Amino acid sequence: MSGLRARMFLRCLLLQSGFSDKSCQALGFAWALDPALRAAYGDDASGLAAARARHLSPFNTNPCAAGVILGTTAALEARAAGTPDQAARALALKSAAGASLAGVGDALVWGALRPLAAALAFFVAAALNHFFVLHFLFWGALAGLAAFNVPALAARWAGLSRGLAEGESALVSVSRLPVQAWIHRCRLATIGLLLAAAALVGLSGAAATPLFASLAFTAGVVFSRFAGGPLRLVAAAGLLGAAAAAGGWTL
Amino acid sequence: MGPLLGAALGEPLLGAGLGAAVEAVTLDELPLGGSLPLSAAVAAGVAVCLAAGPCHLPAEAAFPAGLAAGWLHTRSELSLRSRRAVHVRRAQAALAQARPPRLGFEIASALTVQALATFIVVITALLAAGPALQVLWPLLPGTLRSGARCAVIAAPWLGAGGLAASLWSRR
Repeated sequence: MSGLRARMFLRCLLLQSGFSDKSCQALGFAWALDPALRAAYGDDASGLAAARARHLSPFNTNPCAAGVILGTTAALEARAAGTPDQAARALALKSAAGASLAGVGDALVWGALRPLAAALAFFVAAALNHFFVLHFLFWGALAGLAAFNVPALAARWAGLSRGLAEGESALVSVSRLPVQAWIHRCRLATIGLLLAAAALVGLSGAAATPLFASLAFTAGVVFSRFAGGPLRLVAAAGLLGAAAAAGGWTL
Repeated sequence: MGPLLGAALGEPLLGAGLGAAVEAVTLDELPLGGSLPLSAAVAAGVAVCLAAGPCHLPAEAAFPAGLAAGWLHTRSELSLRSRRAVHVRRAQAALAQARPPRLGFEIASALTVQALATFIVVITALLAAGPALQVLWPLLPGTLRSGARCAVIAAPWLGAGGLAASLWSRR
């Protein structure tokens, strides 16, 4: 069981590698599930072929939520070997779970965890710089990478383990997780870390003068909704900087 | 990507600074569903290589070049995504002929093509944009160079401000 779980987990890391417009993550999912299908169907070649064909159908979800769906599908397929009704149920459950967990997973991972990791990186770098630690930006980046990847990998591993052990009740457990509360706390923590980091950088005077940094931060807050994202704001900052230089003011 | 490449090229602070600037301006672009934002890893990697590598471009020249490379990489990935259905079709065809599908081979070939595309984008950016900017950048008017400098210094702060605003409005 643990060998199967480890193989499925490692293959699950390449879920996105075969992403296509038509079938989305189908190829990656089918490859990650294949060891479980081979274990479930054994010598039943026609059953194995039918199961493999089933799981080449279009599928998409948040990569961090894929673990629990993979584990649950593997558990259902193990029970479904030789029973067509159960096989159809496994496929229907996989599609439904993929769509619903995609929304929740995207909001949690991309909308809350990634900004939190970036804010933590910013804060750690600012704090280490304040205390004159060498390579403070490097350690900040490392903290951000760890803050994102440790929970993301743990979610895949724990989801896969519970799915394999509990089958569809693992999906019920996931649906009861207080994800909205986690998102809310992550966002509050992100704002707190950003403010603390900005205060530390302001105190130390690193990277930019406090006045320039405050102006740019305020511009980011005020205009980001109208300008359509920071990328356009950076272009606008370039134009403003050029205009200021033309007027005789330089950084 | 920025700090690691910067450390490898002997400029960890420059690498981390450019990486942070690229990350800050791309943080608000979420890869929801099948959408694909600008490739921050490629953008940071190219910017750091241009600034800390043999070209030694100023950070304000390397930053926009990196962002352009990240955008190009996203376009190439979108193009690959429209062609990757062939892997699933091949696996389905094998199953229809009662042969086992070579799923591992299909994954490996998809990854190889993607790695090749990334390599081409990065090498093109480094070999074409690097020397071109090395020649052209000093010829640009001082106002434009100051504007670019303003953009790269402001980028992390603008990104942080935009992030704070988006977090606040989504609560």
